[in-house]
Amino acid sequence: MPLSRRSILAGGAAATLAAGIPGFAHAQATPKRGGTLVATWGGFEPQALFVPPGGGTSPFFTSTKPLERLLALDQQLKWQPVLAQRVEPAADFRSFTVHLRRGVTWHDGKNFTAEDVVFSAMQYWKPLSVGVALNALTATRALDSHTVRFEFDRPVPEFFFNSVLAGQGGLVIPKHIYETGNIVTNPINNTPIGTGPWKYKEWVRGSHVEYVRNDNYWENNKPYLDRLFIRWWRDPASRLAAFESNALDLGCFNPVPMPEVDRLVRSGRFAADSRGYESSAWCSTIEFNVRKAPFDNRLVRQALMHAIDRQLVVDTVFFKRGRPGLNPILSANKLFHTGDVPKYDFNPAKAAQMLDAAGLRKGRNGRFSVNLLAAGWFEENGKIGQIVQQGLEDVDVKVNLSVPDRPTSLKRIYTDYDYDIALSNYTAPIEAVPVISQYYVSDGIAKGVAFRNANGFHTPAMDDLVARLTVETDPAKRTALAHEFGRQAATEVPFLPLVEFDSLTVARSDVKNISTGSNWMGETWADLWLDR
Amino acid sequence: MLRLLRRRLLQGVPLILGVIIMNFLLIQAAPGSFLDVMSAESQVSDPAMLEQLRVTYGMDQPVWLQLVKYIWSVARLDFGFSYRQNMPVLDVILASLPATLVLMLASLLIALLLGVTAGVVAAVKVNTIWDNLLSFLAVLFFAAPSFWLGIMLTVLFAVKLGWVPVGGMMSITAANQGVLDVVLDVLHHLALPAMALGLFYAAVYARVMRAAMLEVLSLDFIRTARAKGLGRWRVVLAHGLRNALLPIVTLFGLQFGTVLGGSIVVETVFSWPGLGSLMLDSVSSRNYPVVLGVLVFSSIVVILVNIAVDLAYLRLDPRIRAR
Repeated sequence: MPLSRRSILAGGAAATLAAGIPGFAHAQATPKRGGTLVATWGGFEPQALFVPPGGGTSPFFTSTKPLERLLALDQQLKWQPVLAQRVEPAADFRSFTVHLRRGVTWHDGKNFTAEDVVFSAMQYWKPLSVGVALNALTATRALDSHTVRFEFDRPVPEFFFNSVLAGQGGLVIPKHIYETGNIVTNPINNTPIGTGPWKYKEWVRGSHVEYVRNDNYWENNKPYLDRLFIRWWRDPASRLAAFESNALDLGCFNPVPMPEVDRLVRSGRFAADSRGYESSAWCSTIEFNVRKAPFDNRLVRQALMHAIDRQLVVDTVFFKRGRPGLNPILSANKLFHTGDVPKYDFNPAKAAQMLDAAGLRKGRNGRFSVNLLAAGWFEENGKIGQIVQQGLEDVDVKVNLSVPDRPTSLKRIYTDYDYDIALSNYTAPIEAVPVISQYYVSDGIAKGVAFRNANGFHTPAMDDLVARLTVETDPAKRTALAHEFGRQAATEVPFLPLVEFDSLTVARSDVKNISTGSNWMGETWADLWLDR
Repeated sequence: MLRLLRRRLLQGVPLILGVIIMNFLLIQAAPGSFLDVMSAESQVSDPAMLEQLRVTYGMDQPVWLQLVKYIWSVARLDFGFSYRQNMPVLDVILASLPATLVLMLASLLIALLLGVTAGVVAAVKVNTIWDNLLSFLAVLFFAAPSFWLGIMLTVLFAVKLGWVPVGGMMSITAANQGVLDVVLDVLHHLALPAMALGLFYAAVYARVMRAAMLEVLSLDFIRTARAKGLGRWRVVLAHGLRNALLPIVTLFGLQFGTVLGGSIVVETVFSWPGLGSLMLDSVSSRNYPVVLGVLVFSSIVVILVNIAVDLAYLRLDPRIRAR
C-alpha cells in the first residue's frame, strides 16, 4: 500500500462506507451539532488518562480523545491526514519529510509546531511508546516551523513508517509541557493537553472522565458533540443494565455479554457493529513451547492442530462471532492476509496418524502428557482450554490444564517458559512488523518481555524472511513477502491464531458516524453526532 | 475505661505488625509481579529497561530488607508509592476510602435495622406465619450471592422500574450541583448497593437476634416485668431487646472486616469507586504497595472498630464494667 502525497490526497475525502447493519449506516444526513454522549468499553478504568509507554487499551481509549496523531488509517485501509498534511519519502526510503498542518493550537493556546513532533519522536516514541519498531530512526529534524524530516539508517517501507505515525504509540505530545521532568510520571498525564477535538474537564476516579468540546479545533464545525463522557462499569451485566436504562449511549470492544447482543439489537433501540477493529483485530492463539520435546517436532505440532475443533470454539465460546484462524496476519487485514496457507481442519483420525508417524504411539498412559496453560486474562481462554483439552485427550494425549490469573500467566509464559502449550491472545495492527513477526524470529526472544517470542522458535529461513519484510520498500514485493511469512508460520506452527473473534461496538440507534476508522476506539470521535 | 482503651490499643500494635509481615510474605510468594503486568501493558520491549524498573522499585533487594524498609515506612505513616496511579499509596487509599465507608455504614445500618427488627418480630411472633415468613426471607438473603442479588435488584429497580441509577456513586453531572443535591444524588446511587450488601448481614442479624430474643424472653426478669403489668412491647423493647443486643454488638465488630471483603463484589457490580474496586484492580495488576496498604489500613480500621465494640459492652452490660 503506497503512501505518498498522492495517495493521501486521493484518500483525503471522508470514507463513505457501505452500511451493512441497520442503525449503523454511516450517515449521509447533515450532522447535528450539540448533545452529550456517554461511552464506555468492555474493560476497566485506566491507571492514568494518558500512559506514555502504552498502558493497554483503556488509556489508549481515553488519551486519543484529547491527543492526536499525524495520520489515521481509515476503514478502507487508506491513510488520512490528521496533524500531518502529507508525507513524502526520499527516493532511497531512508528519510521521510512530513508536512504538518498549520493553524493548529494546543488546548492551552500555544501553537503546534515541528518542534513538538521532533520532541515526540525522539523523546517519547522511540524510547517509550514505539520502541523496537523505531530502532532504525537516527534523527528527526525540524526543517521549518511546520516541516519535519525523519532519518533512518536503512530503507524503511512507506507503509511501515505511516503505521508508526498512525499507530497506538504515535500520539503527538506538547514539547512545552513535557520537556522538563519525566514524561512517564508527569502529572499532566491525568489532565492531558493535546490538539484534539476534546478538552479534558474532569476525572472522577472510579466513575468517569468528562471531555468538553474544543472550540478552537482545527477542523471546522467539529466536534459535533458538546460533551463526551467516558464512564466505566466493571461488570458486563452492569453495562447491559446501563444501556437498557439509557445511562449509556455507546460501548466499544464487546461491552455487554455476547449472548445479549442480539436481544439488544432486536429491540430496535440499539445496533451492533463489528467494523472499526480492522487494525486492532483480536485472536485467541495457541503456542507450542518448541524448547521441549515433542513440541520441537513440527509434525507433532501440526498433528495437535488437527485434533482441535476450532469451529466448536467459535460456536460455543464466541457465539458464532468469529472464525478459525489461518494465518498470524489476520483475515481483517485485507492488505497482507492470505488464505493460501496450510490449513488444519478438525480431523482426529489424521491427528492420530500423524502422531503415530512421529513415533508417539499410544501406550498404557496415552501418548504423552501436556502442560496446557490458558492465560486467565480473558474468561474465554479457560473455556477454550477445556475444548483443547477434550480434543487432545481424544487422541490419547494427557492434558494438565491450568488457568492462572494474568500476572501468573505472564510470568509462566514469558519469564519462566513454564508451559508446553499456551493459549493466549494478541491484537494485530495492519503492519505485521514487528508486532506479529516478532513471535517467529530470534530477535523476538527476550526473556521476561511479554507478548514476544516465548516459544523459542526460530529458523534461519524465517529470520531472513522477516529481515527482508522489514526493509522491502516495493509495495507489491512486500505484500508477496507478507504472504510468504503467513505460509511459513502456518507450516511451522510454533504459534498460530486458533480463532479470530469479532469485537463489537454497541450503541443506541441515534448515535451516528460510528466505526469510521480501522481502530475506531482510538480515533478522536470528532465526527460523532446524535440524531436526537 | 481509659485503661481498657490503652491496653487494647497496645495489643493492636503487634497485631498490625503480624498483619504486615504475613501479608508481605504472602504477596511475595504469589507468582507474577507488577513488572510482568507493566511489561505486558506497556509493551516494554527492552530487557534492560525491565531491569532498571526492578532497581527503581527496590525489587532487586532481599525480601527481608524490603520487609524491614516497609515496616519502617508504615511506622511513619508512609505506605509507599503506587506506580500504577502514580501517587502515594496513602493518597490512593484516602481517595477510595470515603466511598467504601459510606457503603459499609449504609449497608450495616440497613442490616441492623432490618435484621434486628425482623429478629424481634420473629421472636415475639414465634411459630406464627410471620416467624416463618421472616425466617424464609432470612435464609433466602443469607443464601443469595451478593453479586446475583445486586444484578437482580438492578434489573428490577433500575432497568424495569427506573427508580434508581444503574451504578456509580453519583451522576456524571453531579459536579455542577449544590451540596444538598450531591448528597441526595449519592443517597440515590447508594440505595441498591447498600441493599445488596446489607441484606446478607440483615439475614444473619435476624437469625441471631431471633435466637437471642427467644432466650431472653424466657428468663425470669421478663416474667417479672410482665407480672408488674408492663405493656407487651415495653417489655420486649425496654427489657428484652437491650439484653439480647450483646450478641449483635459482637457480631457487628466481627463483621466489620467481612463487610469490607464483601464490598469487593458489590462495588464491582455497581461500579462503586471504593476500596473493594481498588483492591481488585491492585491484586490483578500485582500492585503490591496498594494491596499491602489496603490490607494494613483495613486491619487498623477493624482493630479500632473492635476496640469500640469492647467499649460498647461496658455501656450495654454493667456486669462487664463491674469485672
